[in-house]
Amino acid sequence: MDLLGGGLFDLAEKRLLWLDQRQQVVAQNIANADTPDYQARDLTPFRTLLAQSVAPVPLAAPQAGDLPGDPAQAVPIDTWRLPDGRAPDGNAVSMPAELTREAQTEDAQQLVTNLYEAYAGMVRTAIGKS
Amino acid sequence: MELGKALAISAAGMDAQTTRLRVIAENLANQDTTGDTPGAAPYRRKTVEFANGLDRALGVDTVRVAGIDTDQSAFPLHYDPSHPAANAQGYVQLPNVNSFVELMDMREAERTYSANLTVMQATRSMLSRVIGMLK
Repeated sequence: MDLLGGGLFDLAEKRLLWLDQRQQVVAQNIANADTPDYQARDLTPFRTLLAQSVAPVPLAAPQAGDLPGDPAQAVPIDTWRLPDGRAPDGNAVSMPAELTREAQTEDAQQLVTNLYEAYAGMVRTAIGKS
Repeated sequence: MELGKALAISAAGMDAQTTRLRVIAENLANQDTTGDTPGAAPYRRKTVEFANGLDRALGVDTVRVAGIDTDQSAFPLHYDPSHPAANAQGYVQLPNVNSFVELMDMREAERTYSANLTVMQATRSMLSRVIGMLK
């Protein structure tokens, strides 16, 4: 049995790193909801980063588009979202949109941690520990 | 840990809104504060300015209060010759505080504060789920 789950743990790690960063960016947008001229930002979608980071062979050297394995390396924040509408002070943060993004991030993180736990339980069963 | 930074960013947001509420309270408390000598200027409304800036200790951009300014709009005049602050023509300068403006500002500060709190609570439950993965 492939205890590493065909990269499942690895995928979960990447996804969690991305979600951590996302939460940080959303927190930043909401904290700046009343800052003049502040424009909401977002991360590069996970799907895009994942498509770039799929290595053709295992143990390939890191590529330019790789997701960072080291939490100190940040996922690039490259999407400056187009404003839904600007307030008279030039602020372009839509509170409902940000809170929706925040909820999506939290739900996705819950899904990943639950999947991780379920899989870790399967591994424990396989190696005879419960 | 990025989630720790997210917590700090939300805390900075709440801090900024608290300063704003304090200034609103000052404005409302002083909405009738006039001068006490003839022709003296009354209380001038204060405003809070927010800015997005780098927190060097954390290495992330947070929100901070850039400064507390004063509203330069003109003072409304009220005719009351018996008032100690009345000028030679009998007019008293009243503070340029509009309680409706302050109340709307207060509602907005409250709303942003609770949005930051919501994010903080969500971040905390995300953190506890990550800690749960250690089991």
